[in-house]
Amino acid sequence: MAALLKVNEVTKIYAKGQHPSLNKVSFNVAESEFIAIMGASGSGKTTLLNVLSTIDTPTSGSIIINGVNLKQLSDTGAADFRRDNLGFIFQEYFLLDSLTIRENISVPLTLQKLPPKKIEKMVRSLAERFGIASQLDKYPNELSGGQRQRASAARAIVKQPSILFADEPTGALDSSSATELLKTLKEANEELHTTILMVTHDAYAASFANRILIFKDGRIIQELLKQDTDRRTFYGAIARQVAKLDTER
Amino acid sequence: MNNLSMALKNLKNNFSFYALYLLSVSFVITVFFAFTSFSMNTVMLEKISGDGRVETMCSVISVFLMAFVVFYMSYSNRFFLRRRTKELGVYALLGYRKTTVLSLLTTENFLICFGAFIVGILLGSVFHKGIVFGITKLLDLSINNSEIPFFNINAIVKTACFIFAIVIVLVLSNSMFLFKTPLMGLVRFEKRAEQKMKFHAVPAIIGFCSIIFGYILALDILRGVKSVWFTIGFSPIAMLTLVLIVLGTILFIASFLPFVVQTGKNNKRKFYTETKIITSPNFIYRMRSNSKTLIMLTLLSAATLTVSSTMALTLYYPIASVSRIAPSEIECRIEDESEINAIKEIVGKHSSEKDVTFVETNIYKVTSSSEQLPMEYSIGNAKGDSDNEKILRNAGFECIPYSDYISLLEAQGRNKVFGQISKPHDSECILVKYQPASDNDETGNVYPLLIGNEEIPVTVTATTLDNPISFANSVGTLIVSDNLYHTIAESLSPETKVLSINGQSIEDNEALFLDLSNYLNNSPYLQGNSHRIHELFSLNSSTFLLIGFLVILFFIATGSILYFNNISAVTDSKADYEILRKMGYTNKKIKKIIKKQTITFFSIPFLLGLVDCIFATLIYKSALMQNILENSFMLYVPVLIAIMLTLVIYTIYYGMTVHTCCKTVLKR
Repeated sequence: MAALLKVNEVTKIYAKGQHPSLNKVSFNVAESEFIAIMGASGSGKTTLLNVLSTIDTPTSGSIIINGVNLKQLSDTGAADFRRDNLGFIFQEYFLLDSLTIRENISVPLTLQKLPPKKIEKMVRSLAERFGIASQLDKYPNELSGGQRQRASAARAIVKQPSILFADEPTGALDSSSATELLKTLKEANEELHTTILMVTHDAYAASFANRILIFKDGRIIQELLKQDTDRRTFYGAIARQVAKLDTER
Repeated sequence: MNNLSMALKNLKNNFSFYALYLLSVSFVITVFFAFTSFSMNTVMLEKISGDGRVETMCSVISVFLMAFVVFYMSYSNRFFLRRRTKELGVYALLGYRKTTVLSLLTTENFLICFGAFIVGILLGSVFHKGIVFGITKLLDLSINNSEIPFFNINAIVKTACFIFAIVIVLVLSNSMFLFKTPLMGLVRFEKRAEQKMKFHAVPAIIGFCSIIFGYILALDILRGVKSVWFTIGFSPIAMLTLVLIVLGTILFIASFLPFVVQTGKNNKRKFYTETKIITSPNFIYRMRSNSKTLIMLTLLSAATLTVSSTMALTLYYPIASVSRIAPSEIECRIEDESEINAIKEIVGKHSSEKDVTFVETNIYKVTSSSEQLPMEYSIGNAKGDSDNEKILRNAGFECIPYSDYISLLEAQGRNKVFGQISKPHDSECILVKYQPASDNDETGNVYPLLIGNEEIPVTVTATTLDNPISFANSVGTLIVSDNLYHTIAESLSPETKVLSINGQSIEDNEALFLDLSNYLNNSPYLQGNSHRIHELFSLNSSTFLLIGFLVILFFIATGSILYFNNISAVTDSKADYEILRKMGYTNKKIKKIIKKQTITFFSIPFLLGLVDCIFATLIYKSALMQNILENSFMLYVPVLIAIMLTLVIYTIYYGMTVHTCCKTVLKR
């Protein structure tokens, strides 16, 4: 399958003389792939997510998403690129408190200047898929953590981004809410063919992905592939690998 | 770390945030100190207030000023407390007692008040000196400036005591907050969910109708004597209008505006745009907790705008009216022919120029048997009618010849008037109106004039507001043809002789006026154009100055509260703007959203206050001011200047607010 995201020799150094946060990182992500990035705190996961999502710029190397070299984007160009190609889910949900759930999910579509009828239809259909249709006219603070994160996921997916970045999406959720969300993301990946790049330190969450990249000191030190194994087996493999890395620390 | 070093550290770390607070409190104290210095300046008060009027006004305004400073400081203190609640909660979690936290807050307040006190005294003293200098120049007072100390010790003591009292009020308010809020409440204060807003059509409609009905009532005053303001009475209708507008404003802001914005969301085509989808819900969200502040600011703006507009009108209108009250530079009645030479001699002493003209006019009082006589005919013939009851007059028309009318206008430099009025024939006349004709214009009326044993009817061909003689010397003036005037002069003896003196070289000469006044034994018939303007300035300037102090304070407070309120809202939603950026909003679009959100909160108090001010000024002008000038755009220029000044101040505050908000949000 064609590579949607190409990361080539990307390095990020915040201050001269400091250890690089990303050290010549290279990998590709294919269309419709669900990939998880794992690693301990300070391993470079969040930095990677920031440079991939145009929020930060790498010191060297190139990132190409959907054929666009991110280095060549101006500030406005980067904003337009985020609007048209990227979706985000954060651990803290980051829903807009002053907007209802319906309005929150509608924002990315209004940015794309879609007609109101189409916006409403798309919002409703996705809200039903994410099980939050009855919550559409509520404000974020009236919802549970799980519902909020599903609303956040719906907002990220509704514009059908080329790639969805999820930063510790289950970090603030209880286990059943986390499972609900991960299942929904998996469904979106399989049925809507949404490409997902998820940063997590949780082996259980990572087991929903098809491929795992494990980071340490700004480098990819290992790649795990799910291939034909079932999720439980894959989970076991990830957990073992993480435990092994922990003992090597 | 002790309280002082912690307080200093906090102020230093949040310098940019506290800078405007310190600046605004310093301004407030500057105005307060300048006012106190002025009200305690015995040298100045002796000169401008003979009857204790200014002193009384000082005491009244001082109460308003103090109440206002306390309100403003309490509001700002509560605002900063809210912003730091979480931090204070953390101190408490670490084991700080609430009394220690309170003493930390008190130390900070004390430091800010002390800083403001020092700045206030320095700037206030300069401000006070400037005021003294301005008034001395304006009123041409002889004041020995060295008698007025730069620092007024009594004012410093009073200001220090007042600031101390404020600190006590703030300590009480802070301790009530700290001891009432549980520890968890402190830590989670910022996270506390706002109550969901309910949209009810009934209060929204009542608010809208109430405000509109209030304005209609205000407009009704234009119907003159037929309006409810006259038929029912001024006070009850004024009270009703005030209640309707205040109640209307409260419901309009708290219910109507959110209701309209919420209903506006149903217009999907307009709502689903990149700016509107953020700004409309944000407006409703902010209104949940900010409607009270907005209502208070709107009423404050309305009061500030109304006070400054009516003040501008009150200052300008009498000065504009001087051209009618005293059209000649100097004018007096001649009781004895010998007075004319004596007066000419006195004038000669003050001006050797040849530009001085002396016009003598014999005025003949003629009665008429008509049943429909103009109000000018009998004006001032009863006690209570006239401003100065020493000048009681007998009813009748006071006739002057057309040629004298032209000579007087020429001498007064009002050549433009010539073309407007044509020469009357022998059976015609021109009536000089006291007030502009409203519904009963006398043009075309026929008045039979009783001259000797004969009745000669004259038709009014025109009415004019350009009276050539002051109202003290002639009311109900009838300009007749020179022939008719001679006929009258043959059968009657003149009622009065008036001498009008004009010329550039004698303008604004108070010494000449004083000499003439002495010569004429303080005659009430002696009138002077420049003298009258001078008199108005000296009578009104202290009033305007004192009210000016209040207006300046209102402006500082309204602007600063709006500034703090918007900064607070934007800082609280900083994370929201970050999300918008991640979604693809450019910095330009985010700036647009911030500008729109801010302008909404600035424009509501300004626009509603402006409309309130327009209607209040209308009532003031129609009911409370004597109307002797023709309605013209020029009359409203001072009101417009006052409004424009307010707009400029609001715009400066708006610019500052948007700048700080954008800096806060877009700073990486």
